[in-house]
This record gives sequence, structure tokens and C-alpha cells, in this order.
Amino acid sequence: MTPVEAVLLVFVLATAVATAVLRDVLAVIIAFAAYSLGIAVVWLLLRAPDVGLTEAAVGAGVTTLLFLLTIAKTVRPPSDELFVDVNLPALGVSGLLVAALATTLTALPEIGSSSTPVATSRVTNYYLDNAYAETGVENAVTAVLAGYRGFDTLGEAVVVFAALIGLLVVLDREVLA
Amino acid sequence: MIAALADRAYFVAAFLLLGVGAYMLIGDRNLVKKVIGMNVFQSGIFLFLVASAFVTGASAPLLTEPAPYVSPLPHVLILTAIVVGVSLTAVALGLIVRIYEEYGTLRADLVEEVGDGE
Repeated sequence: MTPVEAVLLVFVLATAVATAVLRDVLAVIIAFAAYSLGIAVVWLLLRAPDVGLTEAAVGAGVTTLLFLLTIAKTVRPPSDELFVDVNLPALGVSGLLVAALATTLTALPEIGSSSTPVATSRVTNYYLDNAYAETGVENAVTAVLAGYRGFDTLGEAVVVFAALIGLLVVLDREVLA
Repeated sequence: MIAALADRAYFVAAFLLLGVGAYMLIGDRNLVKKVIGMNVFQSGIFLFLVASAFVTGASAPLLTEPAPYVSPLPHVLILTAIVVGVSLTAVALGLIVRIYEEYGTLRADLVEEVGDGE
């Protein structure tokens, strides 16, 4: 845990809490964009550059745009107060969720240890040893995404297609007709 | 105890993000903020998985870099999940625009009230 990582985690958590407590929807969307950008940098520090790029483009970019379009088409409730009122039952439920998850914490492996189940997994080592020889792609993430788990990615494309059709139906637009 | 927490700080952060996301999903009345809460909840899960793939001192899974590497598999799963998450957000926001056209409000409690009255 370096100081940079600690500061970044605090930033990410602070922006996440800001999205929850701010009342103005536009302010929440801006806080969420900052949150996405922060977490994109977290992906870089965790040596996941592909995830970081996708998060920055899709999370901070496209998602923020979708939210802004939504409030442009609907309403941004006027607000005099800066923060929302705390909803105690919801706070209790989410507190219980965090407490239940926290009980598993000591059973989890230390982060960064080279003997974690993920790092020593047969699947991980198969991909790292054979990805280049079998697919000719130097980026193991691309090799797994488009090669070994290609059907998974096909399913993802089906989901995006279905979402687009669903969106056209819901909004009653006939752009393709 | 403190050392155990520091070694697992990313997991702690992931759990807290799940808590914040769950709070927004359950507690906030504004539908747009519920969807933002869903996104925060999702990225908490992503943080858990990517952190579990991390190995100190290892390179990103680019085979031109020197070994050892972090595991590429969680990264692939998260890439797929991010794109699916955006599709989900897009459909949810489309439904919200329609709800606003029908009910004239984005507050979940008022939408329920109008629905009961009909």
C-alpha cells in the first residue's frame, strides 16, 4: 500500500459518498464522473491498463453522457439544500451488508501476495504460458477476450444489441424504419 | 488487526463501495440516483475482482513486459461486465425517460402514488 494508492482510495470513496449524499442531480453526475476517473487510475495501479482505458472511455465518458442526456430530457429538481436527508432504514440495511461482507475479510488472501488462488490458478498460468504461442497476440487480456473466451464476448455483443433494441422500443423511436 | 486491514485495503474499499451503492439503490427516491447507485455497486464488485488478481511487483499481462504477470482472467471478466453495465444503464435511463413522460416525476414514491391512484 503506497501513499499514492491510499490517497486514491480515499478520493474514490469520498466521491462515491458524495454521489450518495448530494441532493442536486447534476452535482451527483459530476461527482460520479470524478469517481469513474479515480477508479480508472486505480485500475492502472492494479496493473489492469485495459480495464482502465475502458473505464475512462465508457465509465467516465459514455455513462456520464447518458446521465446528462437523461436529466436534459427529464427534470433536475430544484434544491435549496446541499445534502439529502439520511434514510435511516436504508443506511441500516447497507450497514448490515458491509458488516456481513467484512466478516469474510480475514479469510481473504492478502492483496499482492503471489500465492493467492488467482495467481497460482492453473487457468491463469495456462493463459500466460500459451497465449502468445496459440493466438499470436502479445496482450494476454486481448488473447483471452477474443480467443479463449470468444463466445463470452459474442454474448456481450448480443447483450449490447438487445439493449439497443430495448432502448428503441422503450423510447418508441423508429430511427431504423 | 490494523496490518490485516492494510494488506486488504482494496477489499475494504470494495465492501464500502458496495455499501454506498446499496444505500443509494434502496434509500434514494430519485430514479436517476438509483441508477448511479447501481453503477457504484457494480464497480465495487469490479474492484474486488481486479484487486484479487493483483500481484505486487508483477507486470500488466502484456507478454512483451518482463514476467511475472498479474492474472489476465479477472480483467477480461471485468471488461465484459463494464460493457454489459453500460447497456444496463442505457436501458434503465431509457425507462426513466419514459416514466417521466408518463408520470411527470422522477421520484419513486410519487410514481407509486400516481400508479395506485389509477
